[in-house]
Amino acid sequence: MPASRLPARLDVLQSASGVFLALFMWLHMFFVSSILLGKDAFWHVARFFEGYHIFGKPYPILVSGVALFVFAMFIFHAALAMRKFPADYREYSAFRKHAGEMKHGDTTLWFVQVYTGFAMFFLGSVHLYTMMTRPETIGPYGSADRIVTDWFWPLYLLLLFAVELHGSIGLYRVAVKWGWLEGRNPAATRRNMKRAKWLITVFFLTLGLLSLAAYIKIGIDHRPNYGEHYVPPSIEEPLEPRQ
Amino acid sequence: MKLVYTDVLVIGGGLAGLRAAIGVKRRGLDTVVLSLVPAKRSHSAAAQGGMQASLANSAMGRGDNEDVHFEDTVKGSDWGCDQQVARMFVHTAPKAVRELAGWGVPWNRVRSGEREAVVNAEKITISESPEAHGLITARDFGGTKKWRTCYTSDGTGHAMLFALGDQSIANGIPVMERKEALALIHEGGRCYGAVVRDLVTGELTSFVARATVIATGGYGRIYKVSTNGIICEGTGMGIALETGVAELGNMEAVQFHPTAIVPAGILTTEGCRGDGGLLRDVDGHRFMPDYEPEKKELASRDVVSRRMTEHMRKGKGVKSPYGDHLWLDITVLGRAHVEKNLREVKDICHYFLGIDPAVDWIPVRPTQHYSMGGIRTRHTGESTTLKGLFACGEAACWDLHGFNRLGGNSVAETVVAGMIVSEFIADFCQSDESEISIPTSLVREFHAREQGRLDELLATKGSERTSDIRRRMEEIMIDKVGIFRTGVELDEAVEELQQLLHRSRNLGLQSSVHGANPELVAAYRLQKMLKVALCVALGARERTESRGAHSREDHPQRDDSNWLKRTLTTWKNENDTLPTIDYEPIDVAGMELPPGFRGYGQANHRNHPDTEARVSEVTAIREQLEGADRFEIQNRLMPYKHLLPERYRERNERLEEPNPSS
Amino acid sequence: MQANARNLIMNETTTRTLTIQILRHNPQDPESEPRFESYQLDEAPGMTLFIALNQIRDEQAPSLQFDFVCRAGICGSCGMLINGRPGLACRTLTSKLGPEITLAPLPVFKLIGDLSVDTGAWARQMGERLETWVHQESEPDIDRLEERMDPDRAEEIYELDRCIECGCCIAACGTARMRKDFVGAAGINKMARFRLDPRDERSDEDFYELVGSDDGVFGCMTLLGCNDVCPKELPLQTQLAFMRRKMASVK
Ligand SMILES: Cc1cc2nc3c(=O)[nH]c(=O)nc-3n(C[C@H](O)[C@H](O)[C@H](O)COP(=O)(O)OP(=O)(O)OC[C@H]3O[C@@H](n4cnc5c(N)ncnc54)[C@H](O)[C@@H]3O)c2cc1C
Ligand code: HEM
Ligand code: HEM
Ligand code: SF4
Ligand code: F3S
Ligand code: FES
Repeated sequence: MPASRLPARLDVLQSASGVFLALFMWLHMFFVSSILLGKDAFWHVARFFEGYHIFGKPYPILVSGVALFVFAMFIFHAALAMRKFPADYREYSAFRKHAGEMKHGDTTLWFVQVYTGFAMFFLGSVHLYTMMTRPETIGPYGSADRIVTDWFWPLYLLLLFAVELHGSIGLYRVAVKWGWLEGRNPAATRRNMKRAKWLITVFFLTLGLLSLAAYIKIGIDHRPNYGEHYVPPSIEEPLEPRQ
Repeated sequence: MKLVYTDVLVIGGGLAGLRAAIGVKRRGLDTVVLSLVPAKRSHSAAAQGGMQASLANSAMGRGDNEDVHFEDTVKGSDWGCDQQVARMFVHTAPKAVRELAGWGVPWNRVRSGEREAVVNAEKITISESPEAHGLITARDFGGTKKWRTCYTSDGTGHAMLFALGDQSIANGIPVMERKEALALIHEGGRCYGAVVRDLVTGELTSFVARATVIATGGYGRIYKVSTNGIICEGTGMGIALETGVAELGNMEAVQFHPTAIVPAGILTTEGCRGDGGLLRDVDGHRFMPDYEPEKKELASRDVVSRRMTEHMRKGKGVKSPYGDHLWLDITVLGRAHVEKNLREVKDICHYFLGIDPAVDWIPVRPTQHYSMGGIRTRHTGESTTLKGLFACGEAACWDLHGFNRLGGNSVAETVVAGMIVSEFIADFCQSDESEISIPTSLVREFHAREQGRLDELLATKGSERTSDIRRRMEEIMIDKVGIFRTGVELDEAVEELQQLLHRSRNLGLQSSVHGANPELVAAYRLQKMLKVALCVALGARERTESRGAHSREDHPQRDDSNWLKRTLTTWKNENDTLPTIDYEPIDVAGMELPPGFRGYGQANHRNHPDTEARVSEVTAIREQLEGADRFEIQNRLMPYKHLLPERYRERNERLEEPNPSS
Repeated sequence: MQANARNLIMNETTTRTLTIQILRHNPQDPESEPRFESYQLDEAPGMTLFIALNQIRDEQAPSLQFDFVCRAGICGSCGMLINGRPGLACRTLTSKLGPEITLAPLPVFKLIGDLSVDTGAWARQMGERLETWVHQESEPDIDRLEERMDPDRAEEIYELDRCIECGCCIAACGTARMRKDFVGAAGINKMARFRLDPRDERSDEDFYELVGSDDGVFGCMTLLGCNDVCPKELPLQTQLAFMRRKMASVK
């Protein structure tokens, strides 16, 4: 009987789900950071995903749907990737000792990926669950209130670092793992990709931190009016009342 | 007492040992290979340059065939070789290369079209024909008329050894690593196997076999500077010698390689010169053309080595704290060539000298390189005096190389001998002759003797240190039994080596561990090495002529009238301090190529009384057969095919010589 | 031009005292505990770890175990952890290291004693498991012209054939250290080598049987320690990726 093809399929799916999540996170960060362009910008982005610009009125259930899908990918990816986790303490300490002795970049990076992945399993789940169940709260004031008054900022701060490290390391690893863009001189390509990887991390971290700061500022200012929703001045009619 | 029975015990897992084991296994025999180290780490892996076989595919090899290879080999040996063996060898070498190709060796291939090459430091254009495209190509190597050396970049030995190593796995041959043969079990002129020590546990096992094969490589490490790996200590010859029965042949024939780096002694391949690298002196002057106007850097290696030494003696060497050296200049080949075709050389320069050979000259000097001598065997590979004992590869004196072997002829010899000898071993094992009914008491006796020796070494606290004696031996060998030899120095060497042998009977070890114990290992090998060294030194002292690599300053002439004979040494009595020497005449009357001028240096030899007659015989036969094909002429001059195992008798196909039966 | 080489040999006159810490343990001896022992010696010009270790054994520690054969970076015997990283000791110049050097045996492999490990058994077992030889229905006739091969192809095969089974890539691989059965880069490189060889008649399906598992190519987590320590500078990164693609696309 021929050997099972399952390991091959799973390996492809692990990479595919990781890449999907990583690319999703790029877009995600751009959307979230629209707050830097002003409350209106973010309001429109948020409403856009609720289909407001198509149907003329927002359907938050659409966001719940997207969040559910992402959540599923997230769990799926995590489940596949966790096969690679050290299985027990013996394996874990063997790897730790190894990484300590070797002082080797890519080996250490893998450790970073395991730690951040592990952390995201909790942090990301909380966030995704919130997005799935309370999509209608997404908006300049709603999000800012959550971050400040509901004390989400420490979680986001950790999640931000985790996801930006994990995602870009993951993308770099997928590229070398499957030999993408290797070119004539794989060693040089790898050096360049590693440099690009760091640039991407730094870029998105900066973007995320600035956005987070913007939310925090709004949130602090808005604390007295917790719960109130933002309505852009350009919108004449108030939207249907929520909650 | 641990006891293992097998049909064929192969001691040595280098190219020769592995090929022999594969051969007997394929004939349906049980075999076990022993090696000091994992087989693929044997010193064969270090051969960089290549393997000679007259395939005649490449443009510069066109017109090559067995006859030309034969002539080169015999001349190279300075007529010291066994010409029938040389014939068997040149005939089988192309088959060996092709067999290895089938087993996966990625031989470099002919690429049709024009390409530039550097020959004798001049750029030439070589045009390869389309019909040869994709066949195995060859490079130039010292001392050959045609480009005949098949290669895989500069890792030929590695590629060959790994192909054979993997074949031995494919054939399910057990290769036992970290096992050292300490003594041969023998009685009444019949060898029955060996007592073997496990280098990890220290435990002894006796292997009893119908046939025992020694393929333990050379004895370079009796010299202070050697290109050989550090396990090439000649203990295989040592155990044969210690039987008191087996003969060693031509032990004084030791080759020096012209271009080992200073100080590490690591070889830079002959390919460096073959591809057009130059030798320069302290003034940057290319001096080889002054001495050898025709062959220049490509004269055979003993000649180049000697010329280099001569030149350094004239004060033209470059001074360094490690002694004088000369320069090897491969910058002329260009960076692309160096990085592609001579990469190992580049690595060696980088890692061991910290230089870049594409721009820097490499400091080199002649260094011990190859042992032509070894266990004297018949053409079948069987010891001339100890039945059931076979030898092949560098450990044997089969005698393909005589007093000097050509570059590329020795890895070729290992596999060719492995092929041929394994057939004879199989024949032997499948005949009644090989029946053994050996009493366990005999095995027990040898086993106990070896155990006793080890125990004694560990128990007695003598006053001598192994490393002191060993170091002194190495110095004596390089200083007094080196490239140039004189009677006076050889006398001193023999004298002092004997003293060392005496002293070695009074060793004191610090540790008393029976298991893994490097100190113990060095101690028990010491006497074997000293005995081997004494064979070399004594043989050299007695041989009052210069022949091939054996170069006596006080007897510069090759003296066929007195010395056209093989030196045979035996160690008759355990308490002797000198080997017993005998001589075996080389029969001029049967030679296909009677002794003559070697073709380099000055013609300087005294003829054998039979030479003249044989020369006219040969000339007459050639005249008589004029127009006949070369096979017929050859067969009239010196038939040899009947000596080959049947499966290797067929002609070799070449582009220019299509196989008649195809 | 000449100056370079001459300088190298003449000018390395600054003598340092080296302190070499060696992880010593003799598993044969029930009394023995793994421990670091420290040895000092004067550095000489052109000194390699081969020279240094032999000197230590000669003068200070007669029972010290280590393996060298070719002492020229060719045979793969002398892999060890040099300041924590796998490398060939014989071709490591001490001048390239600091005055304090730590040496330990390669992990993963069975320890024979001190710096000596059983890479031989590993290599043999790898050969058996992966069937690292050319698989051909019938052997070619050695009396005839050999099969032709594209010259470039021959060179590409040689490029991968250069592995000396030193084990450095295994010791440098976090996966191999966690998971005993992982074939490692050396094994996968060998498969790539035979896959490239037109004489080998095995199909991708056949190769999948050998390395298409989580102990094979899919076990590799692309840590690339292998690629970065391989003393022969084999293109392990490229070959691992290549084999992964090929194996992943087996139907
Ligand atoms: C640096 C260098 C470069 C060379 N380049 C070339 C070249 O380009 N072309 C060429 O034709 N030749 C070359 N040669 C010569 C050639 O490599 C050797 O002659 C040849 O490989 C010897 O092979 P072998 O099988 O006889 O012995 P080896 O390969 O030396 O094998 C000896 C085996 O015997 C084992 N052994 C030894 N003693 C014992 C014992 N007591 N008990 C058990 N096992 C034992 C060892 O472990 C080893 O496995 C070169 C040699 C050197 C040193
Ligand atoms: C529960 C959360 C997560 C866990 C536990 C987790 C874990 C891991 C682990 C352990 C790896 C390494 C796998 C390997 O070496 O073979 C990995 C790879 C990867 N992860 Fe995650 N991850 C999580 C979430 C994410 C997210 C949110 C992203 C997107 C930003 C992501 C992107 C990637 C990518 C691109 C890879 C590389 C895939 C590959 O090597 O095949 N992961 N993940
Ligand atoms: C469809 C799924 C997702 C949606 C709809 C979504 C939506 C949002 C929104 C609206 C914010 C702004 C803050 C808030 O309202 O709470 C936010 C912030 C954030 N999200 Fe998501 N998110 C999704 C998935 C993820 C995932 C999978 C991750 C990572 C594992 C993630 C990580 C973050 C982080 C780190 C922040 C803080 C950003 C900052 O620094 O400003 N999100 N997300
Ligand atoms: S791949 Fe490189 S590191 Fe690994 S065993 Fe081969 S030569 Fe050594
Ligand atoms: S280090 Fe190991 S995980 Fe893969 S890339 Fe090399 S084999
Ligand atoms: S001793 Fe051969 S590679 Fe180091």
